[in-house]
Amino acid sequence: MRTTVPVVIAFLSGLVLAVSIFFRPDKTIIGQLEPELLVWVTIIGGFTLFLGAVSITRVNFNAVQRRKKGWGYSLLTLISVFVMALPSLLPSTWSPLFGDAEGSIYDWLFQYLDKPMMATMFGMLAFYIASAAYRAFRARSAEATILLLTATLVMLWRVPMGEAFLRSIHTALPEWINTYVMNGVNMAVQRGIIIGAALGAASMSLRIILGIERTYMGKG
Amino acid sequence: MNFWNKIDTLDRRWVYLLVAISVILPFILPVKLPVYITPETQQLYDAVESLPDSSIVMLTFDYYPSTIAETEPMSRVALHHLFRKNIRIVTVTTVPLGGPSMAEQVTREMAEQYGKVYGVDFVNLGYKANYVAVLKGMGSSIEAIYPTDNLSTPLSELPLMNEVKNYDDIDFIYVVADNGIVDYWISIVNALYGTPVGCGVTAVMAPKFYAFVSAGQMTGLLGGMKGAAEYELLLGQPARATTGMDAQSLMHLLIIGLVLMGNIGYFAGRRQKGKKA
Amino acid sequence: MSGMEIFVLWLEAFITLAIFSFLYKDNPVYHMVESVFAGLSAGYYIGLYWKSIILQQLWEPMTRADNPKWWLFIPGIFGLMMFTRLWPKYSWISRIALAFVMGSTAGVFLITQLHGLVLPQMQKTMLPLVNSKGLEASFLAVIVVIGVISTLIYFYFSKEHKGFLGVTAKVGIWFIMISFGAHFGYTVMGRVSLLIGRVQFLIEDWIGSF
Repeated sequence: MRTTVPVVIAFLSGLVLAVSIFFRPDKTIIGQLEPELLVWVTIIGGFTLFLGAVSITRVNFNAVQRRKKGWGYSLLTLISVFVMALPSLLPSTWSPLFGDAEGSIYDWLFQYLDKPMMATMFGMLAFYIASAAYRAFRARSAEATILLLTATLVMLWRVPMGEAFLRSIHTALPEWINTYVMNGVNMAVQRGIIIGAALGAASMSLRIILGIERTYMGKG
Repeated sequence: MNFWNKIDTLDRRWVYLLVAISVILPFILPVKLPVYITPETQQLYDAVESLPDSSIVMLTFDYYPSTIAETEPMSRVALHHLFRKNIRIVTVTTVPLGGPSMAEQVTREMAEQYGKVYGVDFVNLGYKANYVAVLKGMGSSIEAIYPTDNLSTPLSELPLMNEVKNYDDIDFIYVVADNGIVDYWISIVNALYGTPVGCGVTAVMAPKFYAFVSAGQMTGLLGGMKGAAEYELLLGQPARATTGMDAQSLMHLLIIGLVLMGNIGYFAGRRQKGKKA
Repeated sequence: MSGMEIFVLWLEAFITLAIFSFLYKDNPVYHMVESVFAGLSAGYYIGLYWKSIILQQLWEPMTRADNPKWWLFIPGIFGLMMFTRLWPKYSWISRIALAFVMGSTAGVFLITQLHGLVLPQMQKTMLPLVNSKGLEASFLAVIVVIGVISTLIYFYFSKEHKGFLGVTAKVGIWFIMISFGAHFGYTVMGRVSLLIGRVQFLIEDWIGSF
């Protein structure tokens, strides 16, 4: 029951959506079933992600309740969750501060706190990559040397100052990099990786539909 | 401790200081070197330029706030170009954190500049979960996936959406993204429904998509802030991506310099160790 | 500039500098901002899912006067099943909903990965090596064929890389290194751009407002 029912559901839903491509959407039952099932998937998918947000809140609530190390920060997180979420759950007909439209508390907190916070956190990566460039990127082997040389060429090519420098060596050098490095060797490798990964994804899909792959169910 | 040892054990904060100087200095003393247009950017620009008046384009905001420095300039150039050509726009997002809010804010701000009316000239559909199902589902019926727009207005009340039922009614899809969703716009939407897809993506992702451009599955590609700067230049409206190019140049030179210095230190240190042994 | 606009600018500048302060040294101000960020993001998700899933995709279609879709209670119940994950004893119930999502996604993937990626990419690799576009195009076509095949062979681990397979895999690693070098160059570019975005805010918007 705990395993068989999910395997049968995965098989049936997978089969319908895989074969629906061969049926006319308006004239056949399978064709009509396909969009309906996809709507169901988006709804259940939404609940799944909703669960993720609830879990984060629960973890922080437990940390505060048990006075774990750093519980003050968890409390701050909890307060932020409620300050952000609660006004958005109330209807905007009650007040323009509720809901999620422009001018609401939800939108204000996102635009002026959450967005710059996330942008800055990722902005710090430039410092780390500079430090890594200095400490870790060593031409220890022929392969590593090729990687570093290509990286240097591409870094020069992608910025005006570097491109001007490359043009001073040979006027067509930037175009050669675009043609032979990016649209030649790089494109070929990416194509190989895309083909390989897509074949892997298709075979994994088949394993899920046939019930061979069950790790997504977890234990128990 | 000799010079090379000192270089090898340099506090990382000195490197951080160099980064800070290199990124700030060009804003105080701008050089404004010319930006050259790459064929991939030109291809995307030409594809939009060739769309007839009143076409309908789906513009996506598939990016998180973490990458707005690269992606928001792309959304803005796309909106400039599309509104300028009187093309009608339907926006969607598959990114839950901030996608709908950023789409609302940027489109409404740009629409105001061009005097465009919500519901007639543009519509923001917002976010729905599970992007594979969303992308595939819109092929049959957009209204089934999005019963309402982002602010909960039923689609039947929006004049533009009375003309847009599925991908058959979309002339071009302009994807701006910072994640793997691009693969599905190509493998599901372009491949199954034949709607042309052009993309603006973060620099980290761009090299992969040369394979799609080359295979004709993607119509043009903007790679990172440089791609946005090229598009700004083509539009004749230099903005944040263009002004950022000086800092980008200096930072690249700094990183190349740091790699060189690190390697010189490494090999000099190894030679000295070899001599001692 | 209104008082509110000035307040918002200073608030954003404070947040930006508070996060950058971590580069000098770990400090409590950074951790406070980090905690607020985590909370606001979780709060954003809750607000978004409440609106876009519960209200827009379930409540509105089920309760509208014209052609109500009452049967949507089924995915609604499936969705609620996901919450049994919060109680280990009953978490197996969530498998039913999860299996539906996994199966459906796999169904879409099975076709689209082959039809949308493998076939067109292979088709555009199998082009005439000598063509009317000239020597450069032929040279590029040869590079692409060698690059695609050697990359695929490099990632093929079912047989030991010896003999012809070994030589081809060796060629593959050289191709891959060039591509990864290009990737690295682009990654540097991307990370630098993100920093430039924040510096533009600090210099052009915040300091520019003084």
